[in-house]
Amino acid sequence: MIIADQVYKRYRSNHGMGKWVLQDVSFTIPPKVNVGLVGRNGAGKSTLLRLIGGIDVPTRGLVERRCRVSWPMGFGGGLAASLTGRQNAKFVCRIHGHEEDLQDRLRYIEDFAEIGEAFDKPIKTYSSGMRSRLQFGLSLAFDFDVYISDEITSTGDAAFLKKAAVAFKSLTDRAGLIMASHADGTLKEFCKAGILLHEGRAYWFDSINDALTEYRKSIDR
Amino acid sequence: MRTSSLITWTVWKALFLREAVGRLSAGRAAWAWILLEPVVQVIFLIVLFGFVLQRLVSNIDMGLFVATGVLGFGLARNTAMRIKDAITANDTLLTYRQVLAVDTVLVRAGLEALLFLLSALCLFTGLGLLGYQIFPHDFLQVMSAFVALWLAGIGLGLILSVAAQLIPESGKVGGILLGPLYFVSGIMYPPSVIPPAYQSWFLLNPFVHGIETIRTGFFPQYHPISGVSMGYLLGFVMFTVCLGLALHVRFATRLVAK
Repeated sequence: MIIADQVYKRYRSNHGMGKWVLQDVSFTIPPKVNVGLVGRNGAGKSTLLRLIGGIDVPTRGLVERRCRVSWPMGFGGGLAASLTGRQNAKFVCRIHGHEEDLQDRLRYIEDFAEIGEAFDKPIKTYSSGMRSRLQFGLSLAFDFDVYISDEITSTGDAAFLKKAAVAFKSLTDRAGLIMASHADGTLKEFCKAGILLHEGRAYWFDSINDALTEYRKSIDR
Repeated sequence: MRTSSLITWTVWKALFLREAVGRLSAGRAAWAWILLEPVVQVIFLIVLFGFVLQRLVSNIDMGLFVATGVLGFGLARNTAMRIKDAITANDTLLTYRQVLAVDTVLVRAGLEALLFLLSALCLFTGLGLLGYQIFPHDFLQVMSAFVALWLAGIGLGLILSVAAQLIPESGKVGGILLGPLYFVSGIMYPPSVIPPAYQSWFLLNPFVHGIETIRTGFFPQYHPISGVSMGYLLGFVMFTVCLGLALHVRFATRLVAK
């Protein structure tokens, strides 16, 4: 279960505080419910995912995680550019306390990412699709109750999309998923509920279809 | 369920390995530069100031005199400067909730100590092969002074690392201020040649106390500047380390929040 209670967020810059990105956002995500996050560019989707993932803290309000939540997979980062994919994977395994079965996890990540020799090349030589593959494999290598995806599928090729779909499907039995995406098909396929972010506010919909309809309306307006 | 101390421990181990790989693969033969940097500095200073030093410290090996200064000051400054930038450099790793800003800072300090040991070993071995008497007469005193200088670097770095995140300019100012200290820490001249009227000012610099203590531990016949006290340096260490850690606790969320 993830609870956001009156969350406000604005970013600090060298010229003082920026404008509010999120205002008075409150919702409760029940266990094992897949939620799609929709909203236009700059609506605060990544910000909200970072707050849920605990990478950033709200300016005001509270985000409570009563389960194990992954870090946002996708554009969020989490990879050191000068190190190789394998070195990054080792680091993540180590901080999650998997020193003993390190080799098994590495093999899983390498197999899943399917980036070949690039696994032993620095991250800065990767294309965005290769980064996505690695990041996706990395977070799937650990057991979380909720996985957060920030457009992880948007840069992938057809093979990766297929792989991601299988992975997401197998996840739904044991874990929840919170995903931001601009692809209606992906959202409809994997998500039950939806959150629409519009002008800093969040609106909860029990059905992703309603969320998408409302999103279309908000654009036309 | 892992305990917090176990998580911290595994994070430190993972960060240490990551930092070490990053440091040693930073460029072509990065490890060679790390080892040779103090050696080059010592040669440079002897070439530049050798003829003056010959008269100022006639009763001591010049090479060792400069080496102790370069190593002592370098340890404190490098530690402070390296860990000042630790949070920015490891920004991407703060993606993982296990990794705290203070972890990146402390791990860098540990790596700096290890690299220092290796480069000091390299320098002293070289000096030994050249026929210098490289074994200090009071080994314990030398080591404790080095440790105190390292801790002083950690204290300064802890404070600067927080300051640099809160006010980016303060990190730059801190770095600029550490530069001139090189010339007033008695590295290429014995502090005892400072005119007595200015000695009390000179002794405000905590690094002087550490470097002079190293030298008295090394050479039984060395005359340090009067007023040298390890207590002063340790007081500085206590103050800066406590203040630095307190700042990290106080601003823990600010360091993570964007």
